Amino acid sequence: MLRFVVYLIAAVAGGALGLGSALVMAGLWPASNRLAFGDVDVAGWRSDFAIGSEAADPYTRARVARHGLLALAKSEAVYFTRAVDDAGEPLREDCRYRLSGGTMPAGWWSVTLYDAASMLPDNADGALSIDASRVGAGDWEAVIASRRPPAADHWISSRNAGVFDLTLRLYMPDPALLAEPGGALEPPRIERLDCRGEGAA
Amino acid sequence: MRRWLGPLAVLLICAVGVHLAVLHFAPGLIMARAMEALAARGVALHRFTAPLRITPQTQTVVRPSPDLYYALCRYDLRNPGMRLAVRMGDWPDYQSLSFFDARTNNFATLRGTGQAVAVRLLPPRSAPEQGAIVSPTAKGVILIRRLAPDQDSFAAAAEAGKADRCRLEWRSRIAAPAQD
Repeated sequence: MLRFVVYLIAAVAGGALGLGSALVMAGLWPASNRLAFGDVDVAGWRSDFAIGSEAADPYTRARVARHGLLALAKSEAVYFTRAVDDAGEPLREDCRYRLSGGTMPAGWWSVTLYDAASMLPDNADGALSIDASRVGAGDWEAVIASRRPPAADHWISSRNAGVFDLTLRLYMPDPALLAEPGGALEPPRIERLDCRGEGAA
Repeated sequence: MRRWLGPLAVLLICAVGVHLAVLHFAPGLIMARAMEALAARGVALHRFTAPLRITPQTQTVVRPSPDLYYALCRYDLRNPGMRLAVRMGDWPDYQSLSFFDARTNNFATLRGTGQAVAVRLLPPRSAPEQGAIVSPTAKGVILIRRLAPDQDSFAAAAEAGKADRCRLEWRSRIAAPAQD
């Protein structure tokens, strides 16, 4: 009887270990880092070019199913995500940031803000993203803040976002971007301006 | 020490087995739940559902883009005698027609900037046909994306969406059942 109980405990413990490790490694565990994946990293913007394809490993496939369902394969679009500013600090609703960049190696691009649950933050500001059609050609700037900045041309609202991340979508990517992302893409910079309760950074 | 080898082996086998099973089944389960959620939100089977503009209040899947018009069609091709006739209407800017199987794979995408696109979707294990795509799984989702970053362009995209089609039909070389 004791031997049976020992084997039963071993089986249950093994099952729990397998379940927990799979959920954590695939980014399905609620507290796990949803961005700690990908085979591409350009200045802190991470992507996995296997998204949407049969070639995706089981971990990527499970993670994308949870955090990027219905994402396109890389020939049509690539997605880069970043959750920290240029100083490496997590992006937070109670801080203001300057987001800036230039021309992107794609037919169309956008930057969208998502909360920790990978959803659009629950606000009615109508300022969830910026995109190539709005900022025009050449260099551009936008402010990320929980309230509309008085003097900024472009604004992304972080109201009710808590700790958030940004997704850069690049549709109809240039072949050079797929071949050598580090050389072809100069991703947006994220400079922290200030945070509530402290001076300008 | 030797008496623990058996329980240790059981622990390892169960850990590896459950780990692999979770990875294998997770995408399918997540996709199935997403399709149930889409159905509950009114996304029709075998018909493109005219969407609401993506906002925090209308989002139904993770990480939607508020700059795109999305039209969704769920499909079920478990009957090998059926096929899906799919058409994406004309749109002057970027648009694409993408197909996702029940394990979340984006198994085909057709770009249609400035033009309409028509294609047939065949059940799994169908013989290849000109102008047709074979679905790897019986169930899945078809998604049209149109670039529409503001309210006016979204309204225009919705108007263009009236020409979209996602229609289940009998395959011509297979006789339809007699009607009683």
